[in-house]
Amino acid sequence: MPVWLREHCWRQTASAVYLSLPVRGLRVTSANIFCTDQYLKVSIPPFLFEAILYAPIDDTNSTAKIGNGIIFFTLYKKEAAMWDSLTLGNADKEKMQYLRENAVLKAHEKAKEEMEAKKVTKREHKKYALEATMKLEEAERKRIEDLKEKERQKVTKELELWKKQQEDAEKQKRVQKEAELREEVEQLKEKKKGKMNKTQIPSEGTSKTRLKPTKGCHASYGMFSENLKEEQLPAPRSAATIKINFTSRVFPTALRESRVAEEEEWLRKQAEARRTLSADLSELEDLKEEEKNPDWLKEKGNKIFATGNYLAAVNAYNLAVRLNNKLPLPYLNRAACHLKLRNLHKAIEDSSKALELLTPPVPDNENARVKAYVRRGTAFCQLELYTEGLQDYEAALKIDPENKTIEKDAEKIRHLIQGTMQDS
Amino acid sequence: EMAAGLDRPQVVSHAQQALNYTLFDCKWVPRSARLLCLGSAARGSGLLQLYELRGGRLALLREIEKAKPLKCGTFGAASLQQRYFATGDFGGNLNIWNLEAPEIPVYSVKGHKEIINSIDGVGGLGIGEGAPEIVTGSRDGTVKVWDPRQKDMPVANMEPLQGESKRDCWTVAFGNAYNQEERVVCAGYDNGDIKLFDLKTMSLRWETNIKNGVCSVEFDRKDVDMNKLVATSLEGKFHVFDMRTQHPTKGFASVSEKAQKSTIWQVRHLPHNRDIFMTSGGTGSLHLWKYEYPAKRSKKDSEGAEMGVAGSLSLLQNVTLSTQPISSLDWSPDKKGLCVCGAFDQTVRVLIVTKLNKV
Repeated sequence: MPVWLREHCWRQTASAVYLSLPVRGLRVTSANIFCTDQYLKVSIPPFLFEAILYAPIDDTNSTAKIGNGIIFFTLYKKEAAMWDSLTLGNADKEKMQYLRENAVLKAHEKAKEEMEAKKVTKREHKKYALEATMKLEEAERKRIEDLKEKERQKVTKELELWKKQQEDAEKQKRVQKEAELREEVEQLKEKKKGKMNKTQIPSEGTSKTRLKPTKGCHASYGMFSENLKEEQLPAPRSAATIKINFTSRVFPTALRESRVAEEEEWLRKQAEARRTLSADLSELEDLKEEEKNPDWLKEKGNKIFATGNYLAAVNAYNLAVRLNNKLPLPYLNRAACHLKLRNLHKAIEDSSKALELLTPPVPDNENARVKAYVRRGTAFCQLELYTEGLQDYEAALKIDPENKTIEKDAEKIRHLIQGTMQDS
Repeated sequence: EMAAGLDRPQVVSHAQQALNYTLFDCKWVPRSARLLCLGSAARGSGLLQLYELRGGRLALLREIEKAKPLKCGTFGAASLQQRYFATGDFGGNLNIWNLEAPEIPVYSVKGHKEIINSIDGVGGLGIGEGAPEIVTGSRDGTVKVWDPRQKDMPVANMEPLQGESKRDCWTVAFGNAYNQEERVVCAGYDNGDIKLFDLKTMSLRWETNIKNGVCSVEFDRKDVDMNKLVATSLEGKFHVFDMRTQHPTKGFASVSEKAQKSTIWQVRHLPHNRDIFMTSGGTGSLHLWKYEYPAKRSKKDSEGAEMGVAGSLSLLQNVTLSTQPISSLDWSPDKKGLCVCGAFDQTVRVLIVTKLNKV
């Protein structure tokens, strides 16, 4: 329950009401005072003062002065008239309630309107600022454009002038040339005469000397000077060849073509493959040292293959694979053995495994990949799976387009496929 | 700040012309305001067009069609009177044309087995001394030097050793032609090799590798004791070599710059100032550079051998003209600052670079 503050006193003039409200010892701020055009409330919990004013006031211009334990209100009346009392007396509770709420609503609306007004002004200010900046920038840009334009025009004029000079110079030369031509013709005529008369022609010496200094003079005089120049030119060089070689690289492609990342990966994989020994060495204790080396075993296998003992070769490759199943070559060569032994499915398996291990595809492992494709292709064909076989042959051709044998075999397979298609 | 910016050389666009064929090279006709464009027409033939600069526009004077697309051309070996134009085409043929009567070439040889990527000429135009010669570099990995007075056989041939895998030669340039005997050819290859051939001793004088394919090489002046060589490459890098001092093992000193993110297609030195050059890039931009010499151009190394000291580069200006690579560039030898460039957007542009006197 609020404690009502009732000790107030007031006086009035025609246009204003002066209300004095003691608030002894209480701290009052503007937040505690709420005023609309007909309702005034001071709430300093738990104290409360409320007044429903007799007549409306101008709440925007009215003031409240806080100090010395009193709040002094100066309320400007909307209508200049004398009030009978400060408040509307005898209002019932409902009316009071209604008036209170109304007041609050009104205050809200007012606050909203003010906010809106503020927003609008802010927006307009921003717009103005933006336009001003834009104008400044525009002006700057224009200034630069103008300067550039001036330069352009100046330069164009100079160019035209120069062109004209060139043309004039050419014209002059032409005129000069014609004049000199005429002179020469006359000279020759006179010379002929002169020979008969055995007299020197005075102009000859002078005209000749006039020639030499002017370089770039035209055709007929060109003939004289050109001949002389020919003698001055050195003979054509005696033909020779300089042999060169190009900077070698670890990988034979230039930087722009290099697939360095892939090539590095391939190298890394190889290195790793060599390092890992995938077999359980305890089983293989009775093997000789060299027989534990997969490379040596692969070489041994190759030798045995060459002698035609395919089963033994398979054994050697098997052991190599057991020791290190990351090396592609034992699989590749074992596939060759299986082909010879007509274990076609095993051949396909091994070629596939080899191809798997031969990624990423780089020029380094080109040869191996071609062999793998060809072997797998052959196995497919022998199983009469010609389309798969052809696919592998074509893959091999893509890597090695120059290989004639692969080309021929691919052709044969194509014919076979077409033949079977025709039959069915 | 802005004022300082405007004191630098500006690249002003003067004229441009849209073409209906792929433009591979453009060259000024010496002693004139005319220029030649050459390239490949859509129907697979070669085109040569002669334009004249008339008041801010390019007027087509003449169009010549040839069997094979043309890749490159030069006036370098032509006399000033005749101004014959040498071209290399996609079929490996070197032809020299008289533009007044272009039906039959003045000189023709099937010099290479594959496209001639680059051509240069020396000894003509009243510059330098010695016999006029033309050098061509081809995808077949060889570099050949031709004398128009000798039919069919090159006077020098730089080819890979027997059994050596070949690399495309992308660019060639003459240099050091300061008297009648001396001459060098510099060639750049697609694997980053740069080789310097001495034609007087017929030997390989120097080679190096700059890791990325070499798109363009040029000496700052062909007809002086070799001074500087610029080599541009893929991935936006170019190198400037100081060619005055050759160290027995380290070769020539160089400074390099990574200017653009993409390939630098061409470098061309300003004929009027050999320390200024322009590079053109795959992003359609042009960069104008100035080379500053160091305080001392050579010093002694720990063993007392002379080695060169490279200077420094400063960027004077850059401008982006196109979205496609600018593949060809040529300064006019007659008007300072006038240049033409051709891009793969089938446009040839004439530009004027201002304020080069103040640099």
